[in-house]
Amino acid sequence: MTLSTQTTPSGFLLPSIHSAPPFFTEQPNPTTQAIATDHWIRLILTYARHRKLFSLKVEDAETSGNDWDEILKNERINRKMLPSHLSNILNAMVKKNVAVYEPPKQTHSVVLYWRTPEEWAEALHEWASSTGQLNTIMTYYDITDPPINSELTNIPILLLKKAIAVLTRLGKAQVIGIAEGEGVRFFAGLGNK
Amino acid sequence: MHRRGVGLAAFDRQEQSNKSFANLSSALSQSQVDHLHSQLNQFRSALAHFASAHRDSIKNDPSFRHAFQQMCSSIGVDPLAGPRKGGWWAELFGLSDWQYELGVQIVDICVSTREGNGGMIEMSELLRLVTKLRGIDGNMITEDDIFQSIKTLQPLGAGYQVVDIGGRKMVRSVVKEMDEDQTAVLVLAREGGGRIVEDQLIQQKKWTRDRACNVLENMLLRDGLCWLDAQDEHSGRAYWLPSAMQWEF
Repeated sequence: MTLSTQTTPSGFLLPSIHSAPPFFTEQPNPTTQAIATDHWIRLILTYARHRKLFSLKVEDAETSGNDWDEILKNERINRKMLPSHLSNILNAMVKKNVAVYEPPKQTHSVVLYWRTPEEWAEALHEWASSTGQLNTIMTYYDITDPPINSELTNIPILLLKKAIAVLTRLGKAQVIGIAEGEGVRFFAGLGNK
Repeated sequence: MHRRGVGLAAFDRQEQSNKSFANLSSALSQSQVDHLHSQLNQFRSALAHFASAHRDSIKNDPSFRHAFQQMCSSIGVDPLAGPRKGGWWAELFGLSDWQYELGVQIVDICVSTREGNGGMIEMSELLRLVTKLRGIDGNMITEDDIFQSIKTLQPLGAGYQVVDIGGRKMVRSVVKEMDEDQTAVLVLAREGGGRIVEDQLIQQKKWTRDRACNVLENMLLRDGLCWLDAQDEHSGRAYWLPSAMQWEF
């Protein structure tokens, strides 16, 4: 039996470790467990990036038919990740700063940082300038649900705000109070035409 | 009692004799060093001549390389030692010190696969990965080359060693002795693609349940040599030895 990589129906290449039965069990040896957790975190983040998934919940390991089935289960070897295991991985991800609990003050669901706020800031500014929306006031909704899908479609407000904060520090964005709450205006910024 | 000078002059005298002794000793060691240097230069040029004359053979012919290495070790020369980075080989007309390079690649592979296999890798697997790492056009690498390179890694004290497990050569990159029982587990696990359960050891090795359980739990908890699978269909608790599993990277 060779443990090999597999391509999922969504076109994601699963690493060979995903075919190893013990990968789906929490390891009692702390060193081994740390290694396994690292593998899981990498897998979750690359999969999230592949599918543009922003959130992961402990319940995703309890139910079937959700976005995470392809990696939280492996039907070929009849293994699945248990919710308590996933909960510990979420915790490790928050500690490593590749995810945050959202909403705060609970430990069931996280927003994933498969891009850092800085990378999102760059993508956001790039999008605003390439679609000719510099210097106009936009609502958050204009960004998360644009008429033409962008990379930023469905980005969680939490991440969006962090990205805007990064741009604000660079003098490339300004948060403005508007009737519907908050809006934002992007500027070309220094050294950026 | 010997006579000892009294007064301040005695200090001066003592200091003076110390100084003369020091001068003498440094002169002596200097001449020894010079002598060694000239011998070394002579030897170096002889070795350089040989290596340059047979450079292509050393690089390309595994059996010739082996013979050259044996010659070097029998006359007590370490081709990896030398004043310059890379040792004599690197110095000899740009003959790249590929054994040194190979050693680095072995360490690279052992370290990067360690998390998956617990620090034990099969020789054939290592050979395959080294060959892959060096690219297709890389010259042929043999088990013997790996063996030699691992020997040169020994002074680093990293514990790299070639061990024989159940008739198959494995390279161990962790300082850990595997006892007989663990070796038996590894041999048996290899037959099952890496999976092993207590019952197998009880039935096939005639071990008691306690012994089987102890060995497996120690490998799991103390040594990190295996992973636990708590979802095993047959026994509920199976142990997997990454070093006995067939991985496709």
